[in-house]
Amino acid sequence: MATLQLDKLKKCYGEVEVIENLELSIEEGSFTVFVGPSGCGKSTLLRMIAGLEEITAGELRIDGARVNDATPVERGVSMVFQNYALYPHMSVEKNIAFGLKMLGLPKDDIKRRVRAAAETLQIEPLLKRRPSQLSGGQRQRVAIGRAIVREPKLFLFDEPLSNLDAELRVTMRVELAKLHRQIGATMIYVTHDQTEALTLADKIVVLRDGKIEQAGTPMELYLDPANAFVAGFIGSPQMNFIPVTATGIDGGIRLKGSEMGNLDVVPVGQGWSKDMTLNLGVRPEHLQVGSDFPVKFDIAVDVVENLGGTRYVYGGTAGGHQVIAETRADAIPRPGDHLTVGFDPERARFFDQQGVRLRNALPS
Amino acid sequence: MIGRTPRWIVPIVGLIAMIWIVPIIGLLVTSIRPISEIILGWWSIQEFTLTLDAWILVWDKYPLAYAFWISCKIAIISTIIPMLLAPAAAYAFHFLKFRFRRLILILIINAFVLPNQVVIIPLFRLWRDLGMIDNIWSVIIPFAGLSFAWAVFLVKNYLEDFPYELIEAAQVDACGPLARFFYIVLPNSLTPIAAVGILQFMWTWNGLLLPVVFLRDELPLPALLARIQGVYDRNWDQVAVAAIITTIVPLMVFIIFQRFFTAGAQTKSGSKE
Ligand SMILES: Nc1ncnc2c1ncn2[C@@H]1O[C@H](COP(=O)(O)OP(=O)(O)OP(=O)(O)O)[C@@H](O)[C@H]1O
Ligand SMILES: [Mg+2]
Repeated sequence: MATLQLDKLKKCYGEVEVIENLELSIEEGSFTVFVGPSGCGKSTLLRMIAGLEEITAGELRIDGARVNDATPVERGVSMVFQNYALYPHMSVEKNIAFGLKMLGLPKDDIKRRVRAAAETLQIEPLLKRRPSQLSGGQRQRVAIGRAIVREPKLFLFDEPLSNLDAELRVTMRVELAKLHRQIGATMIYVTHDQTEALTLADKIVVLRDGKIEQAGTPMELYLDPANAFVAGFIGSPQMNFIPVTATGIDGGIRLKGSEMGNLDVVPVGQGWSKDMTLNLGVRPEHLQVGSDFPVKFDIAVDVVENLGGTRYVYGGTAGGHQVIAETRADAIPRPGDHLTVGFDPERARFFDQQGVRLRNALPS
Repeated sequence: MIGRTPRWIVPIVGLIAMIWIVPIIGLLVTSIRPISEIILGWWSIQEFTLTLDAWILVWDKYPLAYAFWISCKIAIISTIIPMLLAPAAAYAFHFLKFRFRRLILILIINAFVLPNQVVIIPLFRLWRDLGMIDNIWSVIIPFAGLSFAWAVFLVKNYLEDFPYELIEAAQVDACGPLARFFYIVLPNSLTPIAAVGILQFMWTWNGLLLPVVFLRDELPLPALLARIQGVYDRNWDQVAVAAIITTIVPLMVFIIFQRFFTAGAQTKSGSKE
């Protein structure tokens, strides 16, 4: 188990700055997930922590000790790679044992630990096989086995499930969560699948262009996003953004959307001003079909996505904005239908034109 | 039907095979018929006598066994050296970072364009001054040295496709640069190493120019073959015998090891593709 501090961490490839002055601390035994769009630097950051990528500037501390120049072994990390990176010329057993053998452990010890890891992951029958004789899910297990057998302080995963089919991904996700509970080690996990992030993480770190947009628990990010990027990135389907204009009222702001009724925000915090245009964000699961809401407007249905228990209605407002609303009613709307949708003002989040979150002064 | 082989394939491949095999049959037949019959053409069948005279004669008159032994020594040593060093060099150039990496690589690869003929004169003087003439190492050293360029090039090209994640995984598994080479890269590079071995063995086994110039008595088979050819005018039967003895080894090497050419890279079994 390990704690981790990233202090002004920076990575440049030549002139290009891929990671910029990154500050983050990771608690002992926690499960931290890095998410972000492709190319934002998740893998680079993970590999810097692993010791596979040089750190251009800043300091990386594991358990308080500076490890910028330490090898992966000295850092006490193991890593599961996206393509598993199993050694093709070794049997599963040798793959798992290899790291221990290189550390010079006694044979009996190695045998015992490989057996224990295989038991944990239920891959004992596969031990004699070569990686090429395994299915994708089995290879993934072996890769995880190779990581846990070393009993490292810190586990690193780089999109470990992205090569698996949807069903297997769900299974492995559950098993990873179980594994984390079982061995309790600190884990860092890179993905761009936000379902994985929301379900696995104690803490999610949202990255964009090498910078942290927000770090927090899944619920913090979901309920209290720091900006429009995080609000849009976390949650599926994506949050609806509807432009509104602000007019001043006593002690607060009154928002007017072109198609919806007025919405008063009282009192307002910093950043609000009269006559500004801003974006109102409301998640599809909070934009419900029905007319008994304080704020409501009409949409024309384009497409309905039926997920069984719930349905997402994609439609256009009179003002020409595309929104997604949810309905749990059994009656399935049809394309071309006109519906009234509405939301509870409590659920709305506000962002200025730059995407910065605007807050109410007090939680009401 | 999809996937059925077109009919014309068989005769065309057959024809190509014939073109290749006719000279070999000719060689064999020439070696076991008396010279009087061969003059009419080895394919002539007015008279057909089988005789092992040429085989016995050549065996008695020339130090064939000794030349065979010399050939083995030269070819095997000059093959093993690049088989060991080329992967190591290719690995270093491809996966490690050190100063002047590009410059050294360019220097090595440059030897690519150096044909044997160019090095003969300077080398000859050097060997003469060092007293190395008629020492097999005077041939082995340039054979191995000149092969380095293409051998490194070949293995390095193969490593371009080598999954880097394997190296990183080994790094996480406590492997230093040397361990990574011996445990991970080497076992997964048998294909190009075998290719280097086969090609180098055939070239050094058949090499004529350097042995003829640098060696006197320690002659390998091809040099001896040249000598047999030079002595009499009409000793085609004997030449055929010597040629067969010379060819048989590389042929066998090729037949035994050719599967390495087709084995292909099996290092990508890591992920689901
Ligand atoms: N060796 C390199 N040289 C130059 N630029 C690089 C190198 N490796 C990565 N980059 C750049 O660094 C940025 C971050 O790459 P990284 O692989 O960390 O992205 P990522 O967040 O993992 O993306 P993905 O989700 O697609 O895996 C990218 O813009 C990439 O082009
Ligand atoms: Mg990545």
